Amino acid sequence: MRSRPAVLGQRTGLLVVGSIVALLVVLPVLRLGYVVWDEGSTGFAVLLARPGLGEAVTNTVLLAVAVTAVAVPLGTLVALGLRRADVPGRRWWPFAMLLPVLVPQFVLGYSWTQAYGRGGFTDTTLGVQWAPVLGPWGVLAVLVVNTVPLTYLFAAVGLATRAEPNLERAARASGATPMSMLRNVTLPLLRPSIAAASVVSFVLTLESFAIPQVMGTPAGFTTVTTTIYRDLSLGSDPVSFVEAIVLALLLVAITVIVVVPADLWLGPRLRVTRVADPEGAPIVTTPRSGSRWIAAGLGGYLLLGVAVPLVALLAAAVTPAVGVSPSPGNWTLDNFSFVITSRNIEALGRSAMLAVTAAALLTLLGGCVAVLERGRAGRALASLVTLTLVLPGSTLAVALLITYGRWLGGTLTLILLAYLAKLWAFAHRPISGALDRLPAEELQAARASGAGPLTAVRTVALRPLAPALLGAWLVCFVTALHEVTMSSLLYGPGSDTLAVVVLNSKELGRIGPTAALSVLLTLVTVAPAGPIWLLVRWLRAPRRARARSLAHAP
Amino acid sequence: MPPDPVGCDVLEVRNLTVEYADVAAVDDVSMRVRRGEVLALLGPSGSGKSTLLHTVAGFLPPTRGEVWLQGHRVATPSQAQPPERRDVAVVFQSYALWPHLSALDTVAYPIRRRGSGRRTARVEALEILDRLRIAHLAERKPAELSGGEQQRVGLARALARRASLYLFDEPTAHLDTHVRGVFLDELVVRRAATGAGGLYATHDAEEALGLADRVALLNAGQLVQLGTPAQVYDEPVDVWAARLTGPASVLEAVVVDARAGHLSIRLAGKVAGVEGPVFTPMGEPVRMLVRPGWARLGGELPGRLRAVRFRGPHSDHLVETAAGEVLIRAAGPPRHAAGDEVSWTLSRVWPLAGSGARGH
Repeated sequence: MRSRPAVLGQRTGLLVVGSIVALLVVLPVLRLGYVVWDEGSTGFAVLLARPGLGEAVTNTVLLAVAVTAVAVPLGTLVALGLRRADVPGRRWWPFAMLLPVLVPQFVLGYSWTQAYGRGGFTDTTLGVQWAPVLGPWGVLAVLVVNTVPLTYLFAAVGLATRAEPNLERAARASGATPMSMLRNVTLPLLRPSIAAASVVSFVLTLESFAIPQVMGTPAGFTTVTTTIYRDLSLGSDPVSFVEAIVLALLLVAITVIVVVPADLWLGPRLRVTRVADPEGAPIVTTPRSGSRWIAAGLGGYLLLGVAVPLVALLAAAVTPAVGVSPSPGNWTLDNFSFVITSRNIEALGRSAMLAVTAAALLTLLGGCVAVLERGRAGRALASLVTLTLVLPGSTLAVALLITYGRWLGGTLTLILLAYLAKLWAFAHRPISGALDRLPAEELQAARASGAGPLTAVRTVALRPLAPALLGAWLVCFVTALHEVTMSSLLYGPGSDTLAVVVLNSKELGRIGPTAALSVLLTLVTVAPAGPIWLLVRWLRAPRRARARSLAHAP
Repeated sequence: MPPDPVGCDVLEVRNLTVEYADVAAVDDVSMRVRRGEVLALLGPSGSGKSTLLHTVAGFLPPTRGEVWLQGHRVATPSQAQPPERRDVAVVFQSYALWPHLSALDTVAYPIRRRGSGRRTARVEALEILDRLRIAHLAERKPAELSGGEQQRVGLARALARRASLYLFDEPTAHLDTHVRGVFLDELVVRRAATGAGGLYATHDAEEALGLADRVALLNAGQLVQLGTPAQVYDEPVDVWAARLTGPASVLEAVVVDARAGHLSIRLAGKVAGVEGPVFTPMGEPVRMLVRPGWARLGGELPGRLRAVRFRGPHSDHLVETAAGEVLIRAAGPPRHAAGDEVSWTLSRVWPLAGSGARGH
């Protein structure tokens, strides 16, 4: 549909989106590079001699590899296991697997230290503690728990859209045992999903900040992100500043080296052409012994990984002091009243407003890119937006700081810009996927019935896209509320978000109040997320119910 | 059809080429659709029918050539009018109904785009649904309708557009025979009532021949033949066209004598007198088309029955002769068994140029 106004609209859109990306991402990162280059080789030598630098880099990379090596197989196994029809509670496990996403990373890490650390929940109630919880092993464990929902999702979607039931049935009908079918048919079909999950898991771990900061730093385990944080918030000399910048660039360099070839190879393979079949087709109908173990395993994993820590957090929030037994007799709301100050309420208000605004803007921007990428030039833009997803938060924050810090330093606007730049792809991906599944003929029918391009989208595409749009909004909202990596570097007096308040509280070492604040932060996320998620499901449900009625129609 | 003066053509396509991923899906096609006429685009899948329709509708721009609607040039390679501004309506192969709109609102959609208010549009839409005898389905959503009902809603939506040219993209492809018949009957009635033109793409020869005023044969994007149904059936331009438009037997024979409308041809050692065009080349072996009705069992020509199939109203007999294989239809159940020696008579032929599959 190449009439002039449509082309003009596309070009304007590309221009607008392109300039936003340039201003928010490209320019700042280039500025970073310029600063380093300006430093010259002598500065470099001083820098490289700084203690702990090499260690931080090594830790980061090893951690990323380790988390990926554990979380990807785990998520894949769970997805494969949940395909069985006879797993008890089969309907609820997928939902439960994704719940940990609602818990902010910081809260998850902190609650683990309160649960399993010295003087923690298990220590006071059972006399059992896991000392390594502070240190690399603890960081690894919690990062795995944090990443498994994502890898599980990748594997589950891959199974639903790629592993055609007929392909597996053909294998079984040709004499393959379930294990052999898994090895020869299912897993090869899942390879693109597993590869994508690995890349995302690796990259997300590279840039993770809250968990290493909460659980690693106290034990002297540093990563690149925690070093950046230390340099920028605690270091006051110019060398620390430059070190932070160099590390930020290093991080993005490692990311790009891993992601670009992976995306180039995986990109076309990941384009989903088949609509995911939510009911699926249960492959195994004969009752097998393993199913109950699967449920037990999942239950145990979620219990130890999420439930117990959260309970421990709650216990820490309601007990007056460390070491006091969390029996009901000792419960008190003192910690909560201590933290519910006007300053913190303001921070909460700021966080909520920021998250709502960011989510709305992001949904709009993500939708724009999703529409624009249908054209030729738009595709390059979409890839660029995807790259912002893997741009480490610390790097982006530092880049924005040195580019716009003079005018916007310490303001909420800067934090908002950081969220826009970083989370763009979070909004773009689901909307783009939904647009892919929208039959082209429906839009053509609207045009052939007299609707212009915008009217066609408004009347015919928006309603089917509503679940995806709302889902994108929700994801951006939750992520923005949780976000602490960039906020902790960009905030100033009067612009601290609730997540930053919680982090600072922890840094001050006050366990009770920190626990109370963590609980509050989680509640603030869950409270709106719950109803909105139900709304998204309801918006999707009528289609499925209608499809079922069609199956029954004469 | 009396010739119309230029400018009254509902659609004219001039040297249209549409390239799709470096392949010419439509290759230098020129044709016209006159007012009140239905032109069928007949061709196998991949022949360019849908691409041609999409270009006329405005979903694709031409690579070369022009599209004229009602005497206005609407598409050239450099400028193409968008679909909503063209005076065309489209009935899609997969219905393309909007899942969130009821049948009534779907049909009211084009009326609202014209500027009508919601209530007026719904009244008019209900009227159209009523004419198609699906008014009782007005409140249903597409998922609650059967395939045939969905197709009728799609047709109603196109009718609501009140266009001068209707484009049908294989609309009965997914329908069973009975529903297909109902749809086609309605089409004929509509066409007579509104006088609009129609461009009907299909791969079903029977449908095309039964429905159209003229038929265009498309092969790999090229226009092979354009004529009335009788012309493309009785006088196809080559073997490929012959096979496309109906059951075709090809025999090789030599014309020994020709007089106005009558030929004496020698085949399988015997000489037979048949109806045929006088321009058929004489003295050399010529490939000739024989339709099932142009030969019958019983007579002087020898043959052997290779296979017999009972079809209900008639039986198909595949007779092997020295000149080739010929399909003969005889009413009623088969009276011979496979392998029998039979005799047959040839009454009509049409000479064919070219070998079988051009472009395939």
